[in-house]
Amino acid sequence: MSTIESRPPAPTPATVAADAGRARGRPPKGFDRPRFLKLFMGVFFLFLFAPIVLVVLFSFNSSRSLQDFQGFSTRWYETFFDSESLRDSLIASLQIALITMVIATILGTLLAYGLVRARTRVSGGLNMLMLVPLVTPEIVAGASALLLFTQVKLELSLTTIILAHITFSISYVTVVVRARLAQLSREVEDASMDLGATRLQTFRLITLPALWPAVLAAGLLVFALSFDDFVLSFFTTGESPQPLPVRIWTQIRFGVRPTINAIGTFMLVISILSIGLALLLPRLFGRRESGLKVLLGREGA
Amino acid sequence: MTEKRFASLFLVPGGVWLLLLFVTPLVFLLAISFGYTDDLGEAIYSTRLGNYERLVDPDYLPVLFRSVGFAFAAVALCLLIGYPVAYYIAIFGGRWKNVLIALVVLPFFVNYLIRTYAWIAMLGDDGLVNGLLNTDVRFLNTPYAVIGGLVYGFLAFMILPVYAALDRMDPSLIEAGKDLYGGPWQTFRHVTWPHTIQGVLAGSVLVFLPAVGDFVSASLLGGPGEVMVGNLIQQQFQASDNWPFGAALTVAMMAFLMIFMLLYLRAAARETREATA
Amino acid sequence: MSAIRFDAVTKRFGETVAVDALDLEIEKGEFFSLLGPSGCGKTTTLRMVAGFEQPSGGHIYLDGEPVEAVPPYKRNVNTVFQSYALFEHLSVEDNVAFGLKRRRVASDEIRSRVAEALELVELHGREKSRPRELSGGQKQRVALARALVNRPAVLLLDEPLGALDLKLRKQMQVELKGIQREVGITFLYVTHDQEEALAMSDRIAVMEDGEVKQCGTPEEVYEQPSGAFVAGFIGISNLLAGVVQDGGVRLASGATCVADLPDDCGQGSEVHLSVRPEKIWLDELEDGMISLDGTIIERVYVGTTTQVIVELGPGMRVTALEQNTARAHSDDRWQIGDRVRLGWHPEHARVLR
Repeated sequence: MSTIESRPPAPTPATVAADAGRARGRPPKGFDRPRFLKLFMGVFFLFLFAPIVLVVLFSFNSSRSLQDFQGFSTRWYETFFDSESLRDSLIASLQIALITMVIATILGTLLAYGLVRARTRVSGGLNMLMLVPLVTPEIVAGASALLLFTQVKLELSLTTIILAHITFSISYVTVVVRARLAQLSREVEDASMDLGATRLQTFRLITLPALWPAVLAAGLLVFALSFDDFVLSFFTTGESPQPLPVRIWTQIRFGVRPTINAIGTFMLVISILSIGLALLLPRLFGRRESGLKVLLGREGA
Repeated sequence: MTEKRFASLFLVPGGVWLLLLFVTPLVFLLAISFGYTDDLGEAIYSTRLGNYERLVDPDYLPVLFRSVGFAFAAVALCLLIGYPVAYYIAIFGGRWKNVLIALVVLPFFVNYLIRTYAWIAMLGDDGLVNGLLNTDVRFLNTPYAVIGGLVYGFLAFMILPVYAALDRMDPSLIEAGKDLYGGPWQTFRHVTWPHTIQGVLAGSVLVFLPAVGDFVSASLLGGPGEVMVGNLIQQQFQASDNWPFGAALTVAMMAFLMIFMLLYLRAAARETREATA
Repeated sequence: MSAIRFDAVTKRFGETVAVDALDLEIEKGEFFSLLGPSGCGKTTTLRMVAGFEQPSGGHIYLDGEPVEAVPPYKRNVNTVFQSYALFEHLSVEDNVAFGLKRRRVASDEIRSRVAEALELVELHGREKSRPRELSGGQKQRVALARALVNRPAVLLLDEPLGALDLKLRKQMQVELKGIQREVGITFLYVTHDQEEALAMSDRIAVMEDGEVKQCGTPEEVYEQPSGAFVAGFIGISNLLAGVVQDGGVRLASGATCVADLPDDCGQGSEVHLSVRPEKIWLDELEDGMISLDGTIIERVYVGTTTQVIVELGPGMRVTALEQNTARAHSDDRWQIGDRVRLGWHPEHARVLR
């Protein structure tokens, strides 16, 4: 055996990455002391979920206290559903969310198609405009909406809330649908026209079915956002009925009340259901990508 | 009909809606900020700068600074807490990545009010913590409570973009960096951090913008010493009925945030252009 | 009446001229190929016939009628796309029936024509499948059936076999040619694969930079290339630079070759001598052949043949092709470094400007 051994070539980024590439998929072990991070994650989840657990747990508390859990009871849910005004608020919230979902989804989908397919200066400007509501603080949205309705002498009611909600939901739909649309092959639309379908028929028969999972996911996202919305509703609501989050605000201002736990837990369930549907439905439609990817699309956030 | 003309028709419904119900109100807001309230409490349009002059009053200026300060603190904390969480899930999550991210995001589906209210329930003078530990610590009505409320409210907006950036990174880059740079900190500084800066910036903007204008946390968790510009605005529009001043406050806040908004929009538009080209 | 006529058709994208004053006539029932490298304008030309692009200048006539004002959905042409462009949310039979439904053909007629089309492409029995369940070759057949079922006057094919592996591609080439003959429709075929074009076409238009460099039958284009580009693009060609002298061509190495000179090449003109590799013989030359000496610098074995690369002089290399028949074993004969004499019959060389 030769005693002279040639030195292995010095590692360059290329060779190192090549070696590492072989280990791809395996998370790096013993790096960054994951034990510390794991502990951090544990504490993090503790603090993250503590308030939620508290709310859900104490919604079933048989006593008013927030310090001792004195037994399981559904009395706060009964109080919630017995109260006519709270029931009206719940129905109002659902109505608002539903109508907002339908209209915002339609407007947002049409807008997304226009933005992607019409590459003009107007569409470029509209693109920017569409993004602004996403980064506008809600208080600005609420104040300006209130101002508008007063100026046009429109009385505050469910209608004004719906109008405001739709305005700020359109952008979410557009962003989600547009990401999906951008992935669709143009050749398929060309093929449709080649075979005799007009542009409108192509949109109806080919583009829309292909977009459907994204449209649905966006719609459910809008539903959840609208159902949960507070600030915008707060500024644009009428006397009665008021959506649930506004009622919660008033109740909190007047002190801590156990019914709020029940309302909160109930709303949590509704929100989870709609987001859960939004994530799962694309899967059920036979698409391989998850709803999460559909929702996140290519946009950074 | 050419494709451009056909597709442009689709822009009309959404475009008109946004113009009428988004742009117009903002124009109104700007206009009335130069107005005043008459003796009957009616808001009158004018061209006075009185409202803007009031902004620099010793009554109001600290509120503006405080809002920015709280928001910055919230961003910093969100980054300090959120980055490691995103890092752990992206790098060490493995099969459980999606579950973990879902778990992180789940609490944010509880209504913001309820979540903040839960903190009152926990930290209040007769709340759970004081009850459990038999103490009498005043957690609420402090700046820390408000900042904490902001962090808890918007943490997901930091975690998600950072996670997306980390997840997009090729894990073998870290391995390579480890071999090249030796220590974990060096690798982080030279490899991981540069790749995630976009995500960090996006997350920071997404936390900063709503935090500056927030009034819920300050209202529920803070006292008179923690009033933020959002509270002021809300008061002007609802309690005090001084809409012109409220509008001026809003416009001033928007102008300040505009820089950050524009940066974010430019980055987002560029990314979409690349994605849809 | 030609199936397609191009009259000085030009297409500009901003500053770039993709198609430059194209003049072509494609006859009915022809299998016509547009052949050229990427960016030569062949796909743009196809898209103009389909109606997805509008010419910047000139006119296109389909069956004698100008078509600029006619949108794609009203033209009597159908396209087979490179990416197949099948409708993922529809079954195979719904895909194929799509064009017929748009034209409101009666349902029983649709059913029979769809069945007929699927028989033609040998996909009978897959009517209910979804595109994602099919292989690449099967998807290609569906795309073909979907186009043919409408009985268009012209079928446009945009590099349809590009995504298939070699064996499947060869098989599909034969099938496509057979289908075209059976159905009798004019095929306008776009490809960058010269072997494919040679194998399938009745006529080929070789394009470069938006212009047609030569248009003719496969034999014409191969044996009588009009210029250096066509000679080099189709098959392997040996291009030897030289100067016309005394009725022949004097190469840089000093050797003079007798060759047929075209009329416009007078004494002193700079030309290229083009010889196909299979026309070059090594060592065992016949009488009357032009012969040159050189050194073997490379030998490439490709199964049926061996390419022998010979250097005649500095910068002058020639590729010769030897068949690997039972008699000749390349490793016995051609070693790198050997001196060899090569030759060709003068009529097999072409002089190009």
